[in-house]
Amino acid sequence: MTDTDVSRVRMTGISKRYGALQSLDNASLNLMPGEVLGLVGDNGAGKSTMSKVLSGAVIPDAGTIEIDGRPVSFTSPAEARAARIEMVYQDLALCDTIDVAGNLFLGREPKRRLAGVPLLDKKTMHERARDMLSNLGIVIPDTSMKVENLSGGQRQSIAIGRAASFNPSVLIMDEPTAALAVAEVEAVLELIRTVSKRGVSVILITHRLQDLFLVCDRIQVMYEGRNVAERRIEDTNIEDVVNLIVGRKFTARSAGHNHQERGASA
Amino acid sequence: MSSEPNAYSSHPPRLRDATILDKVVANGGVMSIALFFIVCCLFFAVTTDAFLTAPNLLNIIRQSAPLLIVAAAMTFVITTGGIDLSVGSVLALTATLSAAALQAGVPWPLAILLMLALGGVVGLIQGYFIAYERIPAFIVTLAGLSVIRGFALLITGGYSIPIEPTSPFVTIGRAWILGIPAPALIAIVVLIVAYVAFNETHFGRYVTGVGANAEATRRAGVNTRRIILWVYILSGTASAAAGVILSARLGSGSSNAGQGFELDVIAAVVLGGTSLFGGRGSLVGTILGALTVAVLANGLILSHLSPFFTPIVTGFIILVAIWLNFRLFKGGARGR
Repeated sequence: MTDTDVSRVRMTGISKRYGALQSLDNASLNLMPGEVLGLVGDNGAGKSTMSKVLSGAVIPDAGTIEIDGRPVSFTSPAEARAARIEMVYQDLALCDTIDVAGNLFLGREPKRRLAGVPLLDKKTMHERARDMLSNLGIVIPDTSMKVENLSGGQRQSIAIGRAASFNPSVLIMDEPTAALAVAEVEAVLELIRTVSKRGVSVILITHRLQDLFLVCDRIQVMYEGRNVAERRIEDTNIEDVVNLIVGRKFTARSAGHNHQERGASA
Repeated sequence: MSSEPNAYSSHPPRLRDATILDKVVANGGVMSIALFFIVCCLFFAVTTDAFLTAPNLLNIIRQSAPLLIVAAAMTFVITTGGIDLSVGSVLALTATLSAAALQAGVPWPLAILLMLALGGVVGLIQGYFIAYERIPAFIVTLAGLSVIRGFALLITGGYSIPIEPTSPFVTIGRAWILGIPAPALIAIVVLIVAYVAFNETHFGRYVTGVGANAEATRRAGVNTRRIILWVYILSGTASAAAGVILSARLGSGSSNAGQGFELDVIAAVVLGGTSLFGGRGSLVGTILGALTVAVLANGLILSHLSPFFTPIVTGFIILVAIWLNFRLFKGGARGR
């Protein structure tokens, strides 16, 4: 963590309504440079919507966002990307019929000019894609493979590699480890530690509560679109977090152990 | 992900490098239409004397130029997951209006530019409703098909408008340059530009992206609505070019031109292995598809068979080629 006191991200009074459903109700979020924030809550608590507001994929009905103290209002994901906010979406947001390199560079493909005509620089794309993947320890034998032919874990790795490789200042990860095997989960957690040491702020959304205790500095709990609690990681434990998530004393057997595996997604 | 050797590392890797067969299967759509194209050509070359002669082959390209040009644009449209049913009507409208404009004394280069602009504007209007108002492309262009053909009929009163055979305008359809018919030259240039745009530019990449996963492409910072708008502008402009070429070749503009043209175009694109669900397109496939349709029509006539066999045979080939994609070459069959 750096010792500046200006928040990297400050979201206040964020509201978003989808028809009858108030998905976010005056929610807020604060994130310091280099901080790892765990965002938890039950399914439908608004974690994904909150993070999509920050990544520009969802436009809020009300509320303000400040990045490094400057107010911003993103009207498209392109603007959030320009502010160096990257997100690993829960559905991965990959194009199945485009190859690995094309997905990694989607929206910012390198250009080359042939007689003044801007063309895709596929050679550079594939070279840099190989570097990006090997830097992150991701094993994909061929960057010209179409993403549809890859396994769930490989697809997830590519989504993570895309978000982490373009020098982000905020990295949002929505369930990044859902499809990953044991060793791969460890690698993702290691990646989070590495980038946060470099000063990248990370928002981690996960149902694997034990992971939060391995990488997070702070945990924010959401319930039905509102913030309900915030804990420094050293001041809390899994049982406490589970109780905060469900909003009452929870006595499921799974809550008492360090192996917390909860259902699907928000 | 660990690079440490472990107890199981002596196993051979499960993933082998792509073999030639893998690549053939992955491009199944193009392969099956290439097969059909070759079989058709061989069949007519053997059964007729006139088929495999340079004048006849050039004539095929000359006659199929409008089909090739519009099918190239339609490949972009269908790859985004859309469809443009109005291309035949735009062709008819621009064919009649170019004849009318020439009759009214508009200089021929201006007439051509006006027609191309008109096609672009028609595409712009339809694209606006599809991209920004989110009305399904099928509905918007079905309405366009009816409205635009109606305008063509209204303007001509159902008659065809003659073009002065001495006008330089008709050279677009009739001239031969370096031994190649002008329409064929125009089509070849359009196809090369379309191929490069589709495979080598950002625009082409985003067209595929929109068809594969529009939301993912949007989240990647691409203005997907503008991409969708542009593919309809392209198909409108291409249809206008086809209308100009057709009226120049025939020496008249008929409001009944291009009846069912949209179906030929869509057939050519789909034959070429482009998926109607979007995300998967091939311009080489489209060219082969359009040429197969053209070769069939030409060869059946040369075989002294009734030209009415053409739609029957074309229909069967569409079914069998797509069936081959699904069964033999599993590549194009992966459902979405």
